[in-house]
Amino acid sequence: MIQIEQLTKSVDTSEGVLTILKSVSLNIETAETVAIVGASGSGKSTLLGLMAGLDSASSGDVILNGHSLAKMDEEQRAILRGQMVGFVFQSFQLLPSLTALENVMLPIELKGDPEASTKARRLLARVGLEERWHHYPSQLSGGEQQRVAIARAFATEACILFADEPTGNLDTATGDKIVELLFELNREFSTTLVLVTHDERLAKKCGRIVKLVAGEIVSDEKNLAVGTTVDTTGTTPKEDAVSV
Amino acid sequence: MSESGHSAVLHDNKSLRTLFGLALRLLWRDWRGGEIRLLLLSLIMAVTSVTGIALFTDRLEKALLLESANMLAADRVLRSSQVPPEEILLEAESRGLRTARTLSFTSMAFSDSGNMLVAAKAVSNTYPLRGEVIIADAAFIRGTPVQNGPSTGEVWLESRALSALSIEVGDSVYVGEAELTVSKIIIAEPDRQQGGMLDNAGPRLMLSMEDVALTNVVQVGSRVSYRYLFANDDIETLDSFNQWLRDEYENEYYLRDVRDESEEVSDALNKAESFLLLGSLFAVLLAGVAIALTAKRYSERHYDYVAILKTFGCTSAQIGIIYLSIQVVLALISIIIGCVLGWLVHQGILQLLQTVILVSLPPAGYQPYVIGSLTAVICLLSFALPPLLALRETPPLRVLRKDLSQQKFGANVPYLFGMFGTVFLILWYSQDLMLTTVLVGSVAAIALFLSVVSYALLRSSGSVGMKAGSAWKLAMTAARRRRKQNVLQVMVFSITIMSLLILTLLRTDLIDDWQAQLPEDTPNHFMMNITQSQIAGIESFFEENGIVSNAFYPLISARVIAVNGDEPDPQEDLDTDANRSSITEGAQADDDESEDQSGDQESSAGESGEQGQVRGRLSRRQVTWADELPADNRVTEGSWWDENIEAGYVSIEDEYASWLGIEIGDSVEFEINQQTVSAEVSSFRSVRWDNMQPNFFIIFSPGTIDYLGATFLSTALMEREQKILLNDLVRLFPTMVIIEVDALIEQIQNIIAQVTSAIELISVLVLVCGALVLLSCVNATLDERFHENAILRTLGAGKKLILTSLLIEFSMIGMVAGIIATIGAEGSLYYLQEQVFEQDFNFHYWVWVAGPLIGMVVIAGLGVNSTRKVVSISPLNVLRRVV
Ligand SMILES: Nc1ncnc2c1ncn2[C@@H]1O[C@H](COP(=O)(O)OP(=O)(O)O)[C@@H](O)[C@H]1O
Ligand SMILES: [Mg+2]
Repeated sequence: MIQIEQLTKSVDTSEGVLTILKSVSLNIETAETVAIVGASGSGKSTLLGLMAGLDSASSGDVILNGHSLAKMDEEQRAILRGQMVGFVFQSFQLLPSLTALENVMLPIELKGDPEASTKARRLLARVGLEERWHHYPSQLSGGEQQRVAIARAFATEACILFADEPTGNLDTATGDKIVELLFELNREFSTTLVLVTHDERLAKKCGRIVKLVAGEIVSDEKNLAVGTTVDTTGTTPKEDAVSV
Repeated sequence: MSESGHSAVLHDNKSLRTLFGLALRLLWRDWRGGEIRLLLLSLIMAVTSVTGIALFTDRLEKALLLESANMLAADRVLRSSQVPPEEILLEAESRGLRTARTLSFTSMAFSDSGNMLVAAKAVSNTYPLRGEVIIADAAFIRGTPVQNGPSTGEVWLESRALSALSIEVGDSVYVGEAELTVSKIIIAEPDRQQGGMLDNAGPRLMLSMEDVALTNVVQVGSRVSYRYLFANDDIETLDSFNQWLRDEYENEYYLRDVRDESEEVSDALNKAESFLLLGSLFAVLLAGVAIALTAKRYSERHYDYVAILKTFGCTSAQIGIIYLSIQVVLALISIIIGCVLGWLVHQGILQLLQTVILVSLPPAGYQPYVIGSLTAVICLLSFALPPLLALRETPPLRVLRKDLSQQKFGANVPYLFGMFGTVFLILWYSQDLMLTTVLVGSVAAIALFLSVVSYALLRSSGSVGMKAGSAWKLAMTAARRRRKQNVLQVMVFSITIMSLLILTLLRTDLIDDWQAQLPEDTPNHFMMNITQSQIAGIESFFEENGIVSNAFYPLISARVIAVNGDEPDPQEDLDTDANRSSITEGAQADDDESEDQSGDQESSAGESGEQGQVRGRLSRRQVTWADELPADNRVTEGSWWDENIEAGYVSIEDEYASWLGIEIGDSVEFEINQQTVSAEVSSFRSVRWDNMQPNFFIIFSPGTIDYLGATFLSTALMEREQKILLNDLVRLFPTMVIIEVDALIEQIQNIIAQVTSAIELISVLVLVCGALVLLSCVNATLDERFHENAILRTLGAGKKLILTSLLIEFSMIGMVAGIIATIGAEGSLYYLQEQVFEQDFNFHYWVWVAGPLIGMVVIAGLGVNSTRKVVSISPLNVLRRVV
């Protein structure tokens, strides 16, 4: 589903060239749930952005569902995003001037679907916000906003969902509920889920955990607690189990 | 899945309809959320003000021209003291012009019981082409307007002629050899004042052109004035006829329009037109600034929108289409609403003006709507399009990294586009390079100055040295943190305040000027040819009858024959100002055509055009002597004689003096009544030629020419009902000549009242535009201030501290803007008044205090009022963007 080959990202800063990702390679299968973990500043968001085609790499390639992102320009990547990719962000990224319903409708409308309103309502109901459809983001709590964002992400009917610290702005209890919802929907829609987090509890819900340190993958392990193989003996690797 | 998936990727299924629908929904949601209201409001304001002003000016201009055409009874007039060729009339008629003929001459009119000198005027049966003759059935009653003259065998007489001749309507009068019946009383005629002395020699007697031959009064050599009148609604037809006349007769005959005829009216019309134009230009400029500001804010608020749309798969091209659609829809909405509102505004103006606009206004053309619509399109293209299109460049990664925004367009590029757009709009709209240059120049000067200042500010890192309370410190740090924005704000504020100052000052100066020119008590009758011994009698006559009379000026005809012993050598070029004539000057000749061309033996018939005019002016002037400087005169060089007056000095009008090459201290020789008088030039004066008062090129000090036997001139203000007294006056002082200018003054005052109201209204309209700009400019930085102040409050800053600091910051911005605006306004006014409005520029000292003060108060008021919410709602809500 997602093949990452020797992906490198460098940016020019005032102190010279900064390499954020150093030749990262990774393979993600369809319907897999992958957590990318690591300390703040380790390059997780950058990697996610590159995988989702939001940005272009300095070298290397991302092959998304058979399409090489490196060979595409921004216009083609946009079309690809529209058809394959959904997003959930730490800061929710709801549009403040749109109601909850309209935020969810937006990607459906973009597809020119005349059923946008019905479909969006169904999704809002699914995330438990059918009563709040006419509220603006500013009138919703953080958890509610994130639920709208999740409804919106699934509204695109994308096959891959990228989530950047979806619980990062939420308290633990709310975060847990959001994660619950995210995984439920993920199962229902059988999407591939790539999520970035530094929250271990969240990571443990994923079938696979990739750890980044300073732009390099230092560990990539199947989480045996979940996933297709039912194996209760599997242990989670400790943070300090692998050193750089 | 790869193969099929691949082809699906390359095929984008978003149709134009989808995108357009999305654009509409976006627009609606933005409207609902208030995001786009200010932008739409600015656009509508631009279209409304431009359309409204254009409609109004269009119609007013036409109406003013029509009304002033009434002063001629025609659109164009050809005058001559000889019969002009009939061919001219035939050619005009073949070109579709309406024509009429008049002939003015003086004659004695006899009745069975008396006689009197009358100003006779014969008119053809098509007279008048414009305006109306007002006639009545009995003396001194209200008349009815008609559009014709008397029929054959009939005459119309002015009321006072009837009492002087002791006759009534229906009786006979004899003019020369003809016996004619008085059929009506003539109360007013449109072109009463156009015949010069011939028409002012006595009461009017109007007869049919066909009866002129019967009278046998007009013979070769008689002093007469022929006039051919022409009218056509189409200016181009008139102009092409004028061209034909010029080609055919090589300046022997030429057409005059009302602007040639009446300096006062032409001056008022020209200035009013320039002012209206300037007003609309400011409206365009301010609307443009408002649109630029709101569009920029709108686009800034849309970065997130675009980033999200991009993550959902919108390509840059599609985003371009969406925002282009939004603009098209915005343009359409604002054009439709703006045109309707513009029409309403101009209707409202007309409603307000209905007491002053007495003529019915001709309908406006379609051009005002085109101008208004184009304003919207150009404003959008130059102000709104660049920032909105720049949105396309927003990187989608922005959803992950907030600090990313579009980088390809420099932040100031939209303003650059806007500048070009405005310059183009102003130039295209005004078709006037001078106005455009002044306007653009002053704005550019402000921009340049502020750029330098902001550069200097950016480089200076030192503290401002404020040791006062912490509100000061807070304000200073805030001001410095937002240096770039503040400089921009100061720029916008100064441009706006400057525009308003320019218009207000110009308006006040123009109106003051006009009021000073013809105040309510302007004398409306001139009395000439008065002898010294008559003065006391006339004064007591006026006193008995409650008439306001004025000073008696001695009047004598003089000619400059030598300057410092040499023959004067006037410059050949025609200086329009030195060429002015006044009623006083008209007194020297029986017919004002002769003043320039045939009033002097020296300008022989063979001399033509310019040369003749130059010599004519050199030849004879009506001069006077006086103790005191006449009221509207100003000494420009040298000094006026004071109490201990000595004979032998002379004061000369400054332009006339420079035309003759005279300098202070020169000794000038005059020929007066065949005697030579020499006097030393002690001062130059500027003279207000348009004030309808006795004005003189040359004034001697008392005692210099007293012995030469002058007659006297005086003026008086007589109300309409007092005019009957003129009969007694003429009977008591038969040698006196009375010139009635009351109708002319009334006409001029009326026109001036109309243009005054017009410019007042335009000023108000522009003021509203200006307020809108100020508001959108304050709003432009609102988001950031909200956020910042919310953070400050969460950090524990008190409400009072924040409010005080806001007050200080806005006051400073307002004051700086006010100072810059004042400098800019005075600078622009200098050029405008000297070059466009032909006024004398004077510093407006009070503005130097008021400008900065107004800036401070208004901006601080607006700013604090808009940001007040910062302290009244909870910081949490601000941080959560409930604003
Ligand atoms: N465009 C950029 N310019 C400069 N530095 C950047 C840019 N993008 C990312 N970085 C830096 O790269 C590092 C990794 O960023 P990021 O991927 O956001 O980390 P994470 O999401 O793991 O916290 C950070 O130190 C960030 O400041
Ligand atoms: Mg991150």
